[in-house]
Amino acid sequence: MFFNLKQQQIAPQILGVILLFSPSIHFAANLEAGKEKAKTCVACHGPAGNSNNPEIPSLSGQPAQAISTALFRFREGNRKNPIMSPLAADLTNADMNNLAAYFASEKRTTTHVTSEKNLALGPELANKYNCTQCHGPQLLGLQHIPRIAGQQHQYLITQLRGFKQQTRSDMDGNMSSAAANLSEADIVVLADYIASLADKPAP
Amino acid sequence: MKKKIISSLIFALAIPAFAQQKAEEPPPRWLQGRSEADAKSTLHPFNPKLTGADISDLKISKLKLPAGFSIDVWAEVPNARSLARGTKGTIFVSNLAANDVYAVVEKDGKREVKKILKGLNAPNGIAFMDGTLYVAERTQIKKYENIEDRLDNPPEGVLVVDGIDPTNGPGHFWKYLTVGPDKKLYFNIGSPQNITMPNYVQATIMRVDPKNGRLERYAQGVRNSVGMDFHPVTKKLWFTEHGRDWLGDDIPNDELNVVSKQGENFGYPFCHQGDISDPIYGKYASCDQFTPPALKLGAHVAPLGLHFYTGKQFPAEYKNNLFIARHGSWNRNTKQGYDVMRVVLDGNGKVAKYEPFLTGFLEDEKGDPPMWGRPVDLLVMPDGAMLMSDDYNGIIYKISYKKP
Repeated sequence: MFFNLKQQQIAPQILGVILLFSPSIHFAANLEAGKEKAKTCVACHGPAGNSNNPEIPSLSGQPAQAISTALFRFREGNRKNPIMSPLAADLTNADMNNLAAYFASEKRTTTHVTSEKNLALGPELANKYNCTQCHGPQLLGLQHIPRIAGQQHQYLITQLRGFKQQTRSDMDGNMSSAAANLSEADIVVLADYIASLADKPAP
Repeated sequence: MKKKIISSLIFALAIPAFAQQKAEEPPPRWLQGRSEADAKSTLHPFNPKLTGADISDLKISKLKLPAGFSIDVWAEVPNARSLARGTKGTIFVSNLAANDVYAVVEKDGKREVKKILKGLNAPNGIAFMDGTLYVAERTQIKKYENIEDRLDNPPEGVLVVDGIDPTNGPGHFWKYLTVGPDKKLYFNIGSPQNITMPNYVQATIMRVDPKNGRLERYAQGVRNSVGMDFHPVTKKLWFTEHGRDWLGDDIPNDELNVVSKQGENFGYPFCHQGDISDPIYGKYASCDQFTPPALKLGAHVAPLGLHFYTGKQFPAEYKNNLFIARHGSWNRNTKQGYDVMRVVLDGNGKVAKYEPFLTGFLEDEKGDPPMWGRPVDLLVMPDGAMLMSDDYNGIIYKISYKKP
């Protein structure tokens, strides 16, 4: 309606900002520093973040923001886990961004094999329950939304049950809402199918 | 006999459970009301970069303001949302995706950012009155008395009111909080879903007297408001309201509303933007039963903080103008918002002009993400400069004016 205001480009003037107590001092993400820091992580999350434990999520090939978001929320106490909460407690934002950049740069390997039956049922369920709307058509995630394709089987089941029961931390309520209608049987089928997805288009 | 009773009891209980499973399950709250045509939509919400942005990555040079205005980075606060100022000069900053409240203080010319409260539940709403900081979390409002003298050792919060998350559901659970001229606290209880029939306290603006915890419904039919301010002269409450999703890219408009009397109804879920009857609930009521918006703000622009300009630094024509931070939403194929708009009111309190004030966060209207920053809340400082929070990058900016 009244969009004719004369505007002028303004020069950037970044003032020095003193941040004594803020954890938010940060630098451009450093992949090498991330790899060094990741030595602790890979003890459980597997080589290069490729987990070989069904309970422990793979981190390789995740969107960077999904990893930094998860670490931030562990540190701040929004998401709680007896192992991850203390590990994240001492990480700075820069550490988190570096770790995120490193794991995002690694390739996901997938070993889980689903049954023929679940392979046939999975795509329809992933569509029905709106997984593909946010996680993407191949469930590879983007921005803060994690990659679930090829994620560890038991981990997926645990998360979906947690969201359904509203015991799993949920930033904006979307996953709790999406999981509310899932039956236990569908959770098992979905997790089995999604865990088997490798780096190729979902069938 | 006993066995028989038990088994028939089980049978009686099993029937409704079975019937429930068979019934059509409601879709997730953000998909309610989505039409078949949009069933393949891949539009998704955006979330902030919680670990913050690298200051050198901020594209400040892309920001545009009217002549004479400038913008600088003022402080870094993770997921910075609502802003409030203490009488001794402390700037309080809330967040939504984490669980903290921060204080920014200036001491010996240096600016310090301190985390003063942690372990809260979605503490989006903050307000300051008479030495006390009030924090609205998901389920309750607590107060922290004499807070500015105790920033390094803050007191335990004292409950003002609880039970303000009536459904404990996943939708619109965050609160905006402000203080009225009557010294009562005003806040929203959002609709729990995109489009649904709310109960008595949902889709409302509520107010509570912090002296005795008495709760009243101040306005109703408000889908969700995350920005409120009182007009400096008329003392009426103005607020932003987010319209429903999935009616298309261009409708309904998000709204700027003004409350003329307590209990006024703004139409949700029956009527949107004052003149669009809802496809599901519209049949139960007519749009002329409700108060129309003072201004249609654009569809899916996600208006958040709004503030009347009461400072003296900006040019005289800005006095008592209304600034609105538009967060920009996700439910539109071609994105808009991600800016600060200026609203000029005439002598009768009617909207005379609506124009962009700060633009340049929106980079690619078809991009994913389309923006590099998202305005949330505004605060006028004693020197007349205006602070603006950006939750996406975790940055607070300062907007200043100097005669060109």
